[in-house]
Amino acid sequence: MGSIVELKARQENTEKPSETTDLALFVRTSGEDLKGWDRQKIVEALVREASLDTKIAEEISKEVQDIIVKAKIKWVTAPLIRELVDSKLIERGLEDARKKHTRLGVPLYDVDQLILHPNKENANVPHGPEATNLTLAEGIKKEYALLKVFSPDVGDAHMRGDMHLHDLGFVDRPYCSGQSLEYIKKFGLHLPNSLSNAKPAKQPEVLLAHMVKFAAALQSHFAGAIGWDAVNLFFAPYLEGRSDREVKQLAQMMVYEFSQQAVARGGQAIFTDINLYWEVPKHFEDVPAIGPGGEFTGKTYGDYEKEAQRFVWALFDVYKEGDGTGRPFFFPKPLVHITEKFFRTEGHEKFLMHICDIASEKGTTYFVFDRGETAKISECCRLSFKLNDNDLLDAKQPWRMRFCALQNVTINLPRLGYQSNGDQEVMFQKLTEMMEIAVKAHLEKKSFIEDLLALGETGPLSLLTMNKDGMPYIRMHRASFLIGMVGLNELVKFHVGEELNESKRALKFGLKVISHMNLLCEKFSEQHGMHFVLEQTPAESTAYRFAKLDLRDFPDKAPSFVKGSIPYGETYYTNSTCLPVSSRENPVERVQLEGLFHPIIEAGAITHVWLGESKPSKESLANFVVKVFKETLNDQIAFSPEFTNCLQCGKTVRGLRESCPHCGSPEVDGITRITGYFTKISSWNKGKLGELKERNKNKGYFAIH
Amino acid sequence: MEKIKDIPVKGFIETSFVDWPGKICSVIFFSRCNFRCPYCHNADLVMRPDALQDVAWEDIASHLISQKGWIDGVCVSGGEPTLHPSLPDVFRFLKKQGFLTKIDTNGSNPTILKTLIEEDLLDYVAMDVKSCLDEQSYCKITGTAHMIDTVKESIDLLLSSRAVQHEFRVTVVPTYHGPEEIYKLARDLNGAQKLRVQNFSPSSALLDPSLQDLKPFSEEEIGVFQDQVDRLIGLQP
Repeated sequence: MGSIVELKARQENTEKPSETTDLALFVRTSGEDLKGWDRQKIVEALVREASLDTKIAEEISKEVQDIIVKAKIKWVTAPLIRELVDSKLIERGLEDARKKHTRLGVPLYDVDQLILHPNKENANVPHGPEATNLTLAEGIKKEYALLKVFSPDVGDAHMRGDMHLHDLGFVDRPYCSGQSLEYIKKFGLHLPNSLSNAKPAKQPEVLLAHMVKFAAALQSHFAGAIGWDAVNLFFAPYLEGRSDREVKQLAQMMVYEFSQQAVARGGQAIFTDINLYWEVPKHFEDVPAIGPGGEFTGKTYGDYEKEAQRFVWALFDVYKEGDGTGRPFFFPKPLVHITEKFFRTEGHEKFLMHICDIASEKGTTYFVFDRGETAKISECCRLSFKLNDNDLLDAKQPWRMRFCALQNVTINLPRLGYQSNGDQEVMFQKLTEMMEIAVKAHLEKKSFIEDLLALGETGPLSLLTMNKDGMPYIRMHRASFLIGMVGLNELVKFHVGEELNESKRALKFGLKVISHMNLLCEKFSEQHGMHFVLEQTPAESTAYRFAKLDLRDFPDKAPSFVKGSIPYGETYYTNSTCLPVSSRENPVERVQLEGLFHPIIEAGAITHVWLGESKPSKESLANFVVKVFKETLNDQIAFSPEFTNCLQCGKTVRGLRESCPHCGSPEVDGITRITGYFTKISSWNKGKLGELKERNKNKGYFAIH
Repeated sequence: MEKIKDIPVKGFIETSFVDWPGKICSVIFFSRCNFRCPYCHNADLVMRPDALQDVAWEDIASHLISQKGWIDGVCVSGGEPTLHPSLPDVFRFLKKQGFLTKIDTNGSNPTILKTLIEEDLLDYVAMDVKSCLDEQSYCKITGTAHMIDTVKESIDLLLSSRAVQHEFRVTVVPTYHGPEEIYKLARDLNGAQKLRVQNFSPSSALLDPSLQDLKPFSEEEIGVFQDQVDRLIGLQP
């Protein structure tokens, strides 16, 4: 039956249906032809797919045929036949066979809805035929993952909402990737399935074209973000002798190329991060530089400081202008590393003022803090890979530097509270069990990806097996496995009676929970020889999903703890370890308090400072950024203003408005950060809409009063 | 501390990014004012201070001390803070704690201002000027007579004091101000470090609620005023 797809089949000659051969049913097949009714197809499928013996298969096929004949069904569909067969398997108690024989698919109604209405799970997916394809494919792969890749206890924990397996629809890809431009600078662009191969770029424009295409290829092989290390520095050898005008042009091309990639996979922009430095990072200072044609230039990167600075300055000039209608660019996200060396590098004050100007004007800048000897590469909404000794050794040959996280599993923290009825000991026990299931999920995903990679060049992940420098592009033994959390604040409130920001006791309890998780990560890492790390889950839709499921399953407890509006269905949990978005903490306190968690969340954390419609001076923001570096342990901050874009006249203004102040049109869309990136508010899910209403926009602190 | 307690604090912003350009500061609001400018947006502080809750001085002090290193300075605002005779004690306390200090004043009390400057208790003075520096213009806006001499005395004090940074601010309101008034004021303030032209912001909380429907100047007009004002006070373009 494998070749037969659903859609209608015609039943003809229903007058004398006594013998198999007389039943003249036609079924449309995937080969786009009509096949006649053939009971043997049922038998074959049961033997091939469910390993049944022929005798039982024969019996079942006859019983099913009888049903169809007796019922005088006019419209027989292939899925119906399959479900009838499955019901017979159930009657016989052949549960395992039924599972193997089951069918993945989508009801007509759902497809109809999908084609007509936008998907809101991920605001980075627009609505269109390509996006519909993506959602449909994700739907089937999600079912596949839960049935085939993960064991029942892992799948059930996900379905119940005890935890969330991210990107199940992308189960056959790793999660995200961070790399260096040096790989394509040195080896050119050799994509396994591409029709032509390119030698290393000789011109910066060509290097950019290679970068964009490689990013698109990687997007097709990873579920999430694609990050690039020290982009301005690695471009620098190509920029010698180029005028400021040409450098600005290149910067503009880079920003537009990435921000307009919503024509790629699933109509989805490539979630791109570019890591940027004002100084030449210490670990690249003495590294021989690769220039045009993939040749060593004879200089080290330390010699390219000025060119790298010209490029990063120009990039921010572009970000300052915004797009053609003055909106902020959503991608590529510029992550500026603030390091000890930054403050020792000439011109840093002016550059800091420049990027703070853009932070205030457009909110685009991300400030990543690398204190002491720390070096890292950041991507996604907040994920970062800390460079260890091995990585720093790789840095001497930077094309070797590539990092990946294989999967992200998020734990529903508030539920642990409800389940343990306020007994802390029970709660910690349950948390440990849930971490064990998360680890199991990681092991299962790892093993599945390894199977795919083992198929090598002819397999689905051939790009990731390409071997140009003595090792495959994806280095599985160095992959990270992420464990995230949602709703620490609500768990703390359940146990302590106060929210994270309300008392020292609450804060301490929160730190205890996260430290416990961190210790477990270390223990499991040692036990399995893998790298398990905590990450603050961006939880764009997870925070909504958990809240919704908890309201359903814990109706006596959850309503007092979920955030947002229950009557409107706009409910959510506070993201990861953040303070509640509505808390009246001033920005300094928020950065300090949230920063306490950051050192124990190795794979990345961020504090958002919501600006609303106010526009603080660049001097004040620069002052603030320096203090965050010097006075706190906070990992990363971003300032998020809000904008309104008029769909009629196209103008963009500050603040969220009901109508356009220029032309008066009510056809407007808001823009601000949903989690770690900017999007249009019309694409947000209900949970995030609920959160937006409660965000403390720091009015008294940033606005003129 | 005892004397400070006599001053009713009606508002406290722990961290402001906008009250002191380039600095992160805290702002303390004292009640009462001797002016009645119709477009004042702190009407409650001026007209109904008793309806507002006091902020305990102890809380302010302990917060300031806990945020040392983060907060560069403290801005003392109002109402009109110079109405309170023990104001210098507030500044002595702030200075002792090592903060930079700023005062927002209307310039009606040059005596206290002089004390603060002479004792080296001030780093920055932001003085509101209302209109042309003559009795009639001032009386029309502030509703208070015989103030112009003291205001002028404060202006002279700031212009002649090299140790203290200052800025003058004028809030411009259509029907009260036009280019003529603004530029005349700027000429009288020649030599000032800064005269900031601020746009009037209509709201229902104004001292004269009837102004809430008044359309303010456009951003472009404000820009033109500011450029001209910069030239007239003698700043290089």
